[in-house]
Amino acid sequence: MKLKLVLITFISAAVFLFALFIGPEPMSPFNMSGIEKEIIFSIRLPRVLVSLFMGMALGASGAVLQGILRNPLADPYILGISSGAALTAAFGIITGLSLFGIFTVPLLAFIGAVIAGIFVGAMGWKRGGFWPERLLLAGVGLGFLFSSLLMLILSISSDAKLKRAALWMFGDLSLADWSIIPFGFIFIAAGIAVSLSKAKALNALMLGDDLAHSLGFSPKRERFILFISVGLMTAASVSLGGMVGFIGLLIPHTGRFIAGSDSRALIPVSALGGGMLLCIADLIGKSVLSPVELPAGIITAVLGAPYFLYLLRRRDVLGA
Amino acid sequence: MNYRANVIGFRVHGIKQNRARLLFFMLSLLTLNFSFLTAVGAEAPKRIISLSPSTTEILFAAGLGDNIAGVTTFCDYPEEAKLKDKIGGMSNPSLEAVVSLKPDIVIVTTDGNPEEFERRLRSIGIKTYIFRARTIPELAGGIRDMGEALDEKERFDALAAEIEAGIDKIKSERKTRKEKVLFIIWPEPLVVAGPRTEIDDAINMLGAQNIAGTAVTEYPKYSLEEIIRQSPDIIFIGAGKGMDSVSGGLLNRLSNLKAVKEKKVFFVSDHLYRLGPRVIKGLEELEMHLNK
Amino acid sequence: MSSAPEVHMLDFNDAAFSYDKHMPFIRGVSFSVDNGEFIGLLGANGSGKSTILKLAGGILKASAGEVKLWGKPIASYGNRDRAKLLSYLPQMLDTGIPFTVRELASMGLYPYDIMPGISVEDALEAAGLKEKSGAHISSLSGGEKRRAYIAMTLLQGAGLLLLDEPLANLDIKYQIELIKLLKNLREKRGISLIMALHDINTAMQFDRLIVIKEGRLLGSGRPESVLTKELLKEAFDVEVEIKREDSGGVYIKY
Repeated sequence: MKLKLVLITFISAAVFLFALFIGPEPMSPFNMSGIEKEIIFSIRLPRVLVSLFMGMALGASGAVLQGILRNPLADPYILGISSGAALTAAFGIITGLSLFGIFTVPLLAFIGAVIAGIFVGAMGWKRGGFWPERLLLAGVGLGFLFSSLLMLILSISSDAKLKRAALWMFGDLSLADWSIIPFGFIFIAAGIAVSLSKAKALNALMLGDDLAHSLGFSPKRERFILFISVGLMTAASVSLGGMVGFIGLLIPHTGRFIAGSDSRALIPVSALGGGMLLCIADLIGKSVLSPVELPAGIITAVLGAPYFLYLLRRRDVLGA
Repeated sequence: MNYRANVIGFRVHGIKQNRARLLFFMLSLLTLNFSFLTAVGAEAPKRIISLSPSTTEILFAAGLGDNIAGVTTFCDYPEEAKLKDKIGGMSNPSLEAVVSLKPDIVIVTTDGNPEEFERRLRSIGIKTYIFRARTIPELAGGIRDMGEALDEKERFDALAAEIEAGIDKIKSERKTRKEKVLFIIWPEPLVVAGPRTEIDDAINMLGAQNIAGTAVTEYPKYSLEEIIRQSPDIIFIGAGKGMDSVSGGLLNRLSNLKAVKEKKVFFVSDHLYRLGPRVIKGLEELEMHLNK
Repeated sequence: MSSAPEVHMLDFNDAAFSYDKHMPFIRGVSFSVDNGEFIGLLGANGSGKSTILKLAGGILKASAGEVKLWGKPIASYGNRDRAKLLSYLPQMLDTGIPFTVRELASMGLYPYDIMPGISVEDALEAAGLKEKSGAHISSLSGGEKRRAYIAMTLLQGAGLLLLDEPLANLDIKYQIELIKLLKNLREKRGISLIMALHDINTAMQFDRLIVIKEGRLLGSGRPESVLTKELLKEAFDVEVEIKREDSGGVYIKY
C-alpha cells in the first residue's frame, strides 16, 4: 500500500509538470525565453496549482462523503453546497458587483457555499447529531431550490454575463491567479489533514453507528467533524474555480479500484487522483480547440462518465 | 454571422449587447465634432490584440489591419481578420495566447469581455484599452477615443467623421413613420432583437418602433402570441446561411399576420449585429426596406 | 479491591429505558455479569433483548437506574477505553460495505495503538475465513458476512462481548464452531459474554440464562432451573415439553 501511494504521488508530480510545460504550447523547462518564463510563472503555474488543489479537495471530499453518508452516489455537490456557491457567484457576476475586486466572485461563492452548508447541516440535524439520510435529502432539496433561484437570475440577465456565469458554473480556471491560491490552499490542506486524521473513524462509521461506537468512536462527533471539513474543502474548491463535476463521484470509486476501501489509503489516493484528473482535464480543455478554452468541468464529465460506466461494467465498483 | 450556441443552450455569443442611452444619443448629435487635429506623440502601438469582432472591424476600417496581432475566433470580418492569430472567444479568451503574442496593447470591450480578464492583463503588466461605446450614437465618440489611445488620431477621426456623416444623412432623410418593426435573430427558438441593441438603435433612429423594444433582455426569447397581438407592419430576419428555409415554419405559423400577407418580410444582412463601421450600411438597408 | 465485593464486570441496577417518553420499554432490569461468565439472553421478538445489549454497550443511556462497567457508570468511560473493555456486535449488519474481509476484520484493532496478542490471521482463521481474506464482504454468503464481523469483534479483544443474535444465518457447523471458539477464548483469556439468541437448545450451553418479557426480567439462573415449561409458556407463549435425560442433558420437545 505504501508503495502504491509513493507511486501515485510520483505520477501526480509528473502529471503536474506535464500540465505545466506541455500545453497548449510545449515549452522546455531548461531553455525558456523571457516571455515563456512569464507565461509559466504568472499564468500556467497558478492555473495548474488551482486545478491541483481543487481536484484534491473534490476527490478527498467525495471519498469522505460517500463514507459518512453511506451512499456510493454521494459527491461533494450533492449536499447543495455547490448550488449555494453557484447562486451567490452568479449573482455577483450578473450584477457586476466588485466590492472586493478580484476576490469578489470567489468570496461570494465561498459565502454561498458556507451558508448552504449550514442550511443543509441544520436540516440534517436531529437529536444531537447528523443523520445521513436527512443530510442527503436536505442537500438534494436545497440544491433544487438554489438551482431554480439561479435559473431565475440567469433568465433575466444580459447575454454576456449569462455566458460568463455559465462558464463559471462549468469550472472555468482561465483566470486563476496567485492572489487567491494561499486562501484556497489553507482550507483544502486543513480539510485533507482533518479527513486523514479521522480516516479510521470514517471506516468505522461506514459499518453503522452502533459498530462505530463499539469500536471506540463517537459517531455523532466524528460525523460532525468530517462534515465540517468536507464542507469547507468543497466551499474552498468551488470558490477557486467554480463547479467541476464528476471528480467527487468518480475518483473515489476509481480509487477504491486501485487502493481498496480503507479510507486511510482511499483519501490520499482520491485527493491525488482528483488533482491529477483536473490538471489533465484543464490541459485538454485549453489545448483541443486552442486558443478557445473549454471549461475543465466539461472535460471531466466527457472523460469521466464513460470511464465510470466502463468500471461499472468491468467490476462492480460498489463492491457487490 | 457569428451567432453560436453557447454551452447551456442559449444562443448568445458574438452579438453586441448595449445599455440604452437615449440621452446620450441626443447629446452626441449636439456635439458633432469635425476637428482634424493631428497628434504627434509616442510611437503608435505596433502589436494590437482585439478582443471583440466590433473592435476588430473598427481597427481594419481605420487602416490598422497590419498592426493587429491577434483577434477572437468570432472575428470574421473583414476576410483578412480570419487570417489573424486567434486568442480564444470573447467571454473566455485565453490569457496564455494573449501573452504569447506579446501585444503592445489589448483592446477590451465593456460588452462581452469579462472585467476580470482585463484586470488580470494589467496585473501581469500588459497595457489595455477599454472600448466603452455601446450604442450607435456612442460609436463615433468611442472611435475617436480609441484613436487617441492608440496614437492614431488622424485615421480614427476620419473614420468617426465618416460614420457621423452617414448618421447625419439618415437623420436628415428621417420621416415620421408609424411602422411597428420586429427583427428576428433566430426563428427556432424565436429570438428577437430587444432593447439596448444596435438593431433597436437603428429602428429608433429611422423613426420606426421596435415591438420587442420593451423586453427585459437584449435578445429575448419572444412569444409568438405577443407577435400576433402586436402585429408588426414589417418583419426583418437577420442574416445567416439558409435563414429562409429555417424560417419557413415560423412564417407558416404567422401566415395570418398582416406583414406576412403583405409580403413585408425581408431577409437582411448582419451589418447591424456589431457596433462597427458597417452599422451605417445596416441602417441604409433597413431604411431602404422601410421606404418601400 | 477486596474491600469492594460488589464490583462486577457489568452491573445492571434497576435500569430502565424508553424510546418514547410515555412508554417505558425496559423496566427495572437488574443483573450482573462476572468475569468468565457466559450469559444467554432469551425472549420473544420485541421483548427488549437488543435494547438491553445496547444499554450494556453504552450505546443507549439508561433513563433510570444505572449500568456500571467494572464499578463505574458506563458513560464515564472514554470511547476508546470502553472499546478495549467491551465490544458490541449488532444483529443487523451492513453487508453492502465496500471493504474486504481483511480490511473489515482489521478494524477491530482501531482502539489500540499497539497490536494486541491476537493477530489478524488468527482471527480470520478462527472465523473460518482465512482463504477469503481478500474477498469483498458483499461477495460473501450471509454466514460468511457474519463471520467476517465476528472476526473483527474477536480482534477487538475486549473482555466482555455483547453479541446480538450472532448465530442467525450461520450453518450449524459454524454455530458449533463459534460456540467452541468462544469457550476456547474463555479458557485462554477469560472473556465474558452476553448473547441474545433464539435457539433454546443452544441456550443450554450457557452458564446462566436471562429471560425477558416486555422489558422486564422474567427469570434468571442456570439453564436447567430457568427453562421450565411454565416459564417458556409465559415468555414465548408456546406449549412445550422439557425432557431431561439420565445423563443430565435437557431438550425441548413439541
